[in-house]
Amino acid sequence: MKKMNRFIITLFVAFMCLPILVTLVYSFATEWGKSILPSGYTLKWYAQLYQDPQFLAAISRSLILTVVTLAAVLVILVPSIALVAIYLPKFDHLFKPIVLLPYAIPGVVLATGLMRTYTNGLVPLFAVLSGGLFIYSLPFMYQSVRSSLQEIDGTRLMEAAEMLGASKVYAFIRILLPNIKIGIMVGSLLTFSAFFGEFQLTNMILGGDFETIRIYMLRVMKVNGHLSSAVVMTYLILLVIISALIIKLTNMNRKRSSMMREEAAFKPIVKGSPAHELLNH
Amino acid sequence: MQQHWKRQAQACLLPLAAVLLLFLAVPLVIMIRQSFGDQNGDGFSFANFMQILSQPFYYDAFRNSFFISIYSALAGLVLAMFVAAALARMNEKAQEKITLFINMTANFAGVPLAFAYIILLGNAGLVTLILQHMGISLQSFFNLYSWQGLALTYVYFQVPLGVLFLYPAFKGMDQRWGEAVALLGASRFSFWARIGIPHILPSVLGTFIILFANGMGTYETAYALVGGTVSLVTTRIASSVSGDIFAQPQIGSAMAVLFSILMIAVLLVNQYLLHLFRRDIK
Repeated sequence: MKKMNRFIITLFVAFMCLPILVTLVYSFATEWGKSILPSGYTLKWYAQLYQDPQFLAAISRSLILTVVTLAAVLVILVPSIALVAIYLPKFDHLFKPIVLLPYAIPGVVLATGLMRTYTNGLVPLFAVLSGGLFIYSLPFMYQSVRSSLQEIDGTRLMEAAEMLGASKVYAFIRILLPNIKIGIMVGSLLTFSAFFGEFQLTNMILGGDFETIRIYMLRVMKVNGHLSSAVVMTYLILLVIISALIIKLTNMNRKRSSMMREEAAFKPIVKGSPAHELLNH
Repeated sequence: MQQHWKRQAQACLLPLAAVLLLFLAVPLVIMIRQSFGDQNGDGFSFANFMQILSQPFYYDAFRNSFFISIYSALAGLVLAMFVAAALARMNEKAQEKITLFINMTANFAGVPLAFAYIILLGNAGLVTLILQHMGISLQSFFNLYSWQGLALTYVYFQVPLGVLFLYPAFKGMDQRWGEAVALLGASRFSFWARIGIPHILPSVLGTFIILFANGMGTYETAYALVGGTVSLVTTRIASSVSGDIFAQPQIGSAMAVLFSILMIAVLLVNQYLLHLFRRDIK
């Protein structure tokens, strides 16, 4: 029985790894397609890629879009989530369904709405795209900030700060935010990897006019597969680093909260949540 | 004083409200309005909807998406059940590792996934070549750039998603239940028929519906693999809206509305089924 379980899991891991492995081999192969094994190995695709100004431009575009949108999320969304949780709990009945709504709206539907509303040029399309991404970050951010607030018992923390004479604004900025820092960072990293790899909204709203890394990947794929797999591997390594950071932060949070409260079983809500997978393809 | 502060706190929510209004509420309302309008968004009729329901060019997209999603969700579900059952019986450390592994691989979807499957199963793909050496022609019964290829590619992301959703239910199945049943003299078969399956059934149904919805909403993988050659709801809506020569935004809007209604209906059915089965267990 035990052997059987191990066998199934091994098969599953192999199934999941196979496409990634062939992409890796393809990115180092001089030519692959005439025989079963590649005819030779080379680094030239990576060299060619890193010298391609269009690749660097695509990375920069993705980064700009990601950073601008993430900044808006951090300034507008995060304080609002904390505010509702601590001072306006009555609003939560209304707030929660709105914030989780993007899970239920397929990207193509929101993109259609955005395009029908804004193609008249009233608002720059970059802002429209950024706004659309903002909407899709709502569920991630809500879940990670909320779970962080629950961990530290934000309401009582603020009460204590005020009793000790801190003003509401001071307590919010100097006491509450530093305490939910890890939750905010985990949420930001998740949002970062979702924005950085975004394809659907970008392709529909701006398409070739704003070639982000995923759109560049697709264009190169049709011209040179080896180059394209080098892009994929570079991109994956970057995202694995981000994932490793998320895991490390989540573990830090877990350790800290178990020190604070023995009985509180911290659930890694953010990273383990299957719902977060839904927004990817 | 208290009242005053409350009002200030509410005022701080205004920027978020503005974003939600500008980029969520207004676009959806305008889209719904235009789905009833003509080319310029004026007038009010059901003509767009009638056109979608009567012309194969449009309703085929729904049919293709529906079947690809059903097949890939079923295949994904069955495979995920084996994996989830095996995973639930591993030790804690292995479970944690596999969950992390699944999260890491979640980034491998869309364009990269489509491309990897082309390397594996495309016209000059690895598997295609291996089979050729064995004297089997893959192309004679399988075409990656068709609905078959799409369904197979979808399975790649359906399985791990299914595992994440199913695994808690399998983990919740106490091994002592099996022992108790055996002690009372029941067979392995009646254990599964009366305890095992009823216990996991709500999760299985719920997971199936989530996988189905996930398949229906998939755009990037399909766009990268087959472009426009297989008509799907998502790619058809996108091409109707994103102005190529065939742009018919009002039809795109109407399709998007129909698509949303379908997705909401699916989620409601899911809720209802869960409700039904949960009561049954009690």
